Amino acid sequence: MTVLSFILISLLYFWCSSTALSFGIGYYTLYRPIISGMLAGLILKDIILGMLAGSIVNILYINFVSTGGSFKGDQCLTAIIAAMATILFKLNPIEGAAFAYPFGYVGIFIWKYRLNINSIFVKKYNERYKNNLNPSISVYNGLLPQILLYFMSTLVIIVSLGIMLLLKDLMLMYHEILKNCLFLVGVCLINISIISVLYNFKNLKIIILFFAILFITLLTDISSYLVMIILFLIISYLSFNDFCYIEKHKKKDFIILNKRDLVYSWFIWMNFSHSCYNYERLQGFAFAHSMKNIINKLYKDNETRKRNINKYTEFFNTEPNIGTPIHGFIISLEEERYIGKDTVDISYIKKGMMGIAAGLGDSFTQVVLAPLFMSIALIFCIDRKFIGIIFPVSLLIAAILYISYSGWMSGYYNGREAMIKRINKIKNNKIKKYFPLIFSGILGVLIGKLIIQNYFLLKQDLINVGIVTIIAFLYTFIRLKSNVKS
Amino acid sequence: MKNIILTRIDDRLLHGQVMVSWIPLLEINEVIIIDDEYAADEFMSNLIVESSPVNLTVKVLSVKDSAEYILSGSNDSRVLLISRSVESINNLLEMKVPIHKINVGGLGYLEGRKKYYNFIHMSDNEFKLLKEIAGKGISVEVQMLPKDKVTTLK
Repeated sequence: MTVLSFILISLLYFWCSSTALSFGIGYYTLYRPIISGMLAGLILKDIILGMLAGSIVNILYINFVSTGGSFKGDQCLTAIIAAMATILFKLNPIEGAAFAYPFGYVGIFIWKYRLNINSIFVKKYNERYKNNLNPSISVYNGLLPQILLYFMSTLVIIVSLGIMLLLKDLMLMYHEILKNCLFLVGVCLINISIISVLYNFKNLKIIILFFAILFITLLTDISSYLVMIILFLIISYLSFNDFCYIEKHKKKDFIILNKRDLVYSWFIWMNFSHSCYNYERLQGFAFAHSMKNIINKLYKDNETRKRNINKYTEFFNTEPNIGTPIHGFIISLEEERYIGKDTVDISYIKKGMMGIAAGLGDSFTQVVLAPLFMSIALIFCIDRKFIGIIFPVSLLIAAILYISYSGWMSGYYNGREAMIKRINKIKNNKIKKYFPLIFSGILGVLIGKLIIQNYFLLKQDLINVGIVTIIAFLYTFIRLKSNVKS
Repeated sequence: MKNIILTRIDDRLLHGQVMVSWIPLLEINEVIIIDDEYAADEFMSNLIVESSPVNLTVKVLSVKDSAEYILSGSNDSRVLLISRSVESINNLLEMKVPIHKINVGGLGYLEGRKKYYNFIHMSDNEFKLLKEIAGKGISVEVQMLPKDKVTTLK
């Protein structure tokens, strides 16, 4: 590995895990193991192995959800390490993923540390504000946390590379034995991941559907493109009403802000919503950052600007795409306040709505949309039809951007009603309703493809694979049962 | 008497962590949001009720009404009580609502509050009140998500 590729890898980890500076869709693309694995593979000049390793890691994190800054493991770091291990140690992607799996837990520490350390910027900002030093919210929300994160990411990559270097001799010396062990661990992890997803649906029909589709896939080796077309037809049938829905904006009798201001504010939010994420204010600074251009346009006096921006730094947390009607609404309230209309308590509205949007939003974008489209991308990847992942990934991007942008605008023009409409739309969304069925079907195809592609490996080791599967099944079952009891 | 499974203090109320983690894990099917301010605000309480999933009953009640509701006849639902403030929970206890365990899941920073744990900020009064509650033999646990480590307040 050259110095250049090291620098690129650390830049990659920084960019992917930051979820900032990627227009709000980084979390749904760059941060996902397929994509980060692919990019790591690109750097190490073996894009296909990188992608395959990433896709196995993605299966391990198939039901990844992060709420309010907490998650099980860092899938992005795992994917990058998996890609590196697979390429540098000449492993099979399943073995590479198993090798990288423990690194995911290193990622949690980084994330928690980051949420703590970002509070420093909050403190510094407050100090400067109190001393009338006019701190810039873009510096404290955008620039400084990102620079710090870059150094932290580089450090993580250095440590990870160090560990890999230490293990290198061992890997070369006992290559065959370790390969076999890692392969079985990988199979076990895949099993655990899939079994816990199916178990959590708590529905026998869904499990039967999974196995039925798995066997059909094994027997027919159905084309991935056909699977995608069928799924897209189902999805568009179920969400037909949502697609056709164009929000009819109420005309306002006064407008100072133009569309450009709104779009710019949205652009800042999308890029920096989690830039200075911290335990004290969560997305508070990001909210203030996104209000900066609005406040600057409305008020000309520096003192007033400063005070108003500071007002928005208070604690805030929501799902960044579903929750955008809040932003639009707050912008329109701020505008009304400027005109002198007696408006309601902005802070109260903001706080009341954010929890609702987060509860509903996380259970839609993260729990339904992301796994749905990413698992279709996974089918292509596992089936080695790499070009195919473009379709589901670009559809996911389009969906996220549409949800986010339409909410923002409709919040500005329609106020409270925008939120109510959005809630009803998502609540009655049919994709969400039938998600367990669709998803278990996709998993059936996915596992079928995985078995077909790795058949020659599985065949050599059939008894061990069987034992590992049973162990994984028992382990998951016991763990999930005991979870419910406690 | 309703079957109270969990009592949570969290100023984001029914947000992602609760929806995605706690409710499925504990198989909750009824949520009571105890909040005088929201209960009196028709728009907010409607919004909260509207936004809840179809298979979850959500009620937004004032402290007094929720005490009455909890103590009135039983049904077979598994109930989650959730409130933004320590004070409301304390008032609920004073109205003889039998709560044995309180989960402190998230209190954001506000002017006058200081940090006690990750994402738990309290004013001196709130902390004192919580200590008093813990002193009454009620287990007060700081825990954001089910998988997180539990810190018991003594």
